[in-house]
Amino acid sequence: MSTQNQNGYMLLYRSDEWYEALSHKELQKVINQNKAWIDRLTAQGKARPGHALERKGAIVSGKKGRVLSDGPFAESKEAIGGYLLLDVETLEEAIAIAQSSPSLAYGTSVEVRPLAEECPLDVRARELAREEQLVHA
Amino acid sequence: MSTQNQNQNGYMLLFRGTDLRKGLSPEELQKVTDNWMNWFKRLTEEGKAVAGNPLEREGKIVAGKDRVVSDGPFAESKEAVGGYFLLDVATMDEAVAIARECPGLPYGIRVEVRPVAGECPIAADIRAEAQFAV
Repeated sequence: MSTQNQNGYMLLYRSDEWYEALSHKELQKVINQNKAWIDRLTAQGKARPGHALERKGAIVSGKKGRVLSDGPFAESKEAIGGYLLLDVETLEEAIAIAQSSPSLAYGTSVEVRPLAEECPLDVRARELAREEQLVHA
Repeated sequence: MSTQNQNQNGYMLLFRGTDLRKGLSPEELQKVTDNWMNWFKRLTEEGKAVAGNPLEREGKIVAGKDRVVSDGPFAESKEAVGGYFLLDVATMDEAVAIARECPGLPYGIRVEVRPVAGECPIAADIRAEAQFAV
């Protein structure tokens, strides 16, 4: 895996509503930690504004997009609860930032993904075209 | 459209499913990609899309108190997120209508539509609780 990426990285936070089980005081502590953490990354120019996502929404699927279903966006540990965009150049640095996330202590997991320079579908289409040319050559 | 449906912070579309390229010819694949790019371009010109990016089919997952790093199943998975759009539209209905135009839908892509929170929902919870406590 190449670790350099000029386009930055996306952190996707996955968790259920773990914060429902915390006391007011504990919760306030996590919020303060989290805010300080994000403020520091932003001041260092490493994070662009990120956001939490509301624990609701819809999923559109089916050939013509006619199937509409609800979540689950609350109960599932896999549900995405928020995201952060990082302006760092290496996967190692993005991982190190993910590892410093205060909410990890409460059971969230963080997905670290490089933003693609070029759509992976485009890349694959070119590969396939090249393979076909080789077969026909 | 109900006012409860209103959200000034916009919506996020998460494109799920990274296995659509299986079984497609290069021409078909190129067509889907072109349609997708044109769709994003039009939404941007209309001021409805403010950001968007495909994600590489690789990455890592960090989890647990010990902050363990592992590989994730990002290639050829039905659940994996392959990219996102941020929409500057004010209602869920409008966001869903845009999601329904996704050129990947006929190939098994599912689009998750999520309201972006204005303030951290956890902080909002605490404020609401504090109000009740008074």
